[in-house]
Amino acid sequence: MPVRLAEEWFAICGGCEVTILDIGEPLLDLLEKVNIVHMPVLMDHKLFGQTGEGTEMEIPEAEVGLIAGGIRSEEHRKLAQEMRKKCKTLIALGSCACYGGIPALANLYATEEILNKVYRESVTTETNGMPNVDIPAMTDRVYAVSEVVKVDVSLPGCPTTPEMVAGALTALLEGKPFPLPTKSVCDDCPTIREKKSVSTLKRRLEAPEFTPGQPLNQMRCLMEQGFLCLGPATRTGCGGSEGTPRCIRAYMPCEGCFGPLSEKANPMVDMMTALSTIGLDPKQISDRAATFNRFSGAGRLRPAPRR
Amino acid sequence: MEEQTITAGAAATATNEQFEPLILAFCCYWCAYAGADLAGTSRIQYPTNVRIIRVQCSGMVHPNLVIEALTKGADGVLMIGCHPGDCHYLEGNLRAKSRADAISLMLEDFALEPERFRLEWVSAAEGPRFAQVMTEMVEQIKKLGPSPFRAA
Repeated sequence: MPVRLAEEWFAICGGCEVTILDIGEPLLDLLEKVNIVHMPVLMDHKLFGQTGEGTEMEIPEAEVGLIAGGIRSEEHRKLAQEMRKKCKTLIALGSCACYGGIPALANLYATEEILNKVYRESVTTETNGMPNVDIPAMTDRVYAVSEVVKVDVSLPGCPTTPEMVAGALTALLEGKPFPLPTKSVCDDCPTIREKKSVSTLKRRLEAPEFTPGQPLNQMRCLMEQGFLCLGPATRTGCGGSEGTPRCIRAYMPCEGCFGPLSEKANPMVDMMTALSTIGLDPKQISDRAATFNRFSGAGRLRPAPRR
Repeated sequence: MEEQTITAGAAATATNEQFEPLILAFCCYWCAYAGADLAGTSRIQYPTNVRIIRVQCSGMVHPNLVIEALTKGADGVLMIGCHPGDCHYLEGNLRAKSRADAISLMLEDFALEPERFRLEWVSAAEGPRFAQVMTEMVEQIKKLGPSPFRAA
């Protein structure tokens, strides 16, 4: 009997669903073993019954549940709880589900402030007041799925990697655990480190120094070249079986999309330590809190204190 | 002091109507801690909100410790060392000074008021000054109110 799979998406762009498609050929083997029972992006399965006869939101029972996206509204919260009730194993798919992701940058501002900016104060907006018909209430901040319900497997990344999704699903089908790596991106980065840096921070658009055609282990660490790289405070694993992190492969510094090294780690503290080790002045970075927590704002970013 | 004792204190004070802050003071062994001793033996009165943690040198207080304290229940943190030039380890307190700068930056990043952290110099002979620093800090934190991390 095929394993039943339910998927739900909240505050997200849809990129992680594309990642599932991006699994490629192994997906054909996986699809034979799973039966998708609920997936808004793929199929027309209504939450209140197909003709709207239901009174409660309902999701069919499933062995494996996938949730992509963080929790931004009361509807999301309800659906997350419903998913937890109906799914034996719950997977948080992508950094938005794991740590809030990009939408959680909104946690730097109070909800009231955001609504005012979008619906009242923005110059290009015609002010017709707040929308209030048939709209679920916003939560006070963006939550990671694991802050609302228990999550069994986390697959971080923006988007997460096809290899990881396939690996996790295969492991679950075989009844094996799927632990995440605990090392940092730097541990998998092949570039040369000399433990000192140029003193000024370079803009991201400037080109790093490297010889085209040469392997990456001939290039100097991008942070030491003056590019802000979140490698020291970011979980590795994006490189998959190839090892080398995704962005580094493209000669770009790490953006931090795999989130902090552990649930309790504090990327802000880790990055400050890393910057001071190689002698870069953190004062050169404007908006440090958002930069260091670009993908992990849920529970980590808060509005500045009012004076 | 054990972590449990410290957090138990935090929970007890958080529920009180009158806000009683919890303040950690990292005191260096050679000057500030001796200063605290002098304040004690001289029977100088100061508020009881401060928990003193003795460290060998103010320069060994890593910013992580301060941030950890502030994000896990402390309302304020003091880092107290010898006056510049008097450090038992020659320049430990200067290191503390540069660490304090980094800590101030981090408080900003964590959306905490900068007044919640303070670096002070107190010598072994300055019992009254130690008491005065403690009183000032407690008053300041009382004005600021509980740390926003307490509720979370």
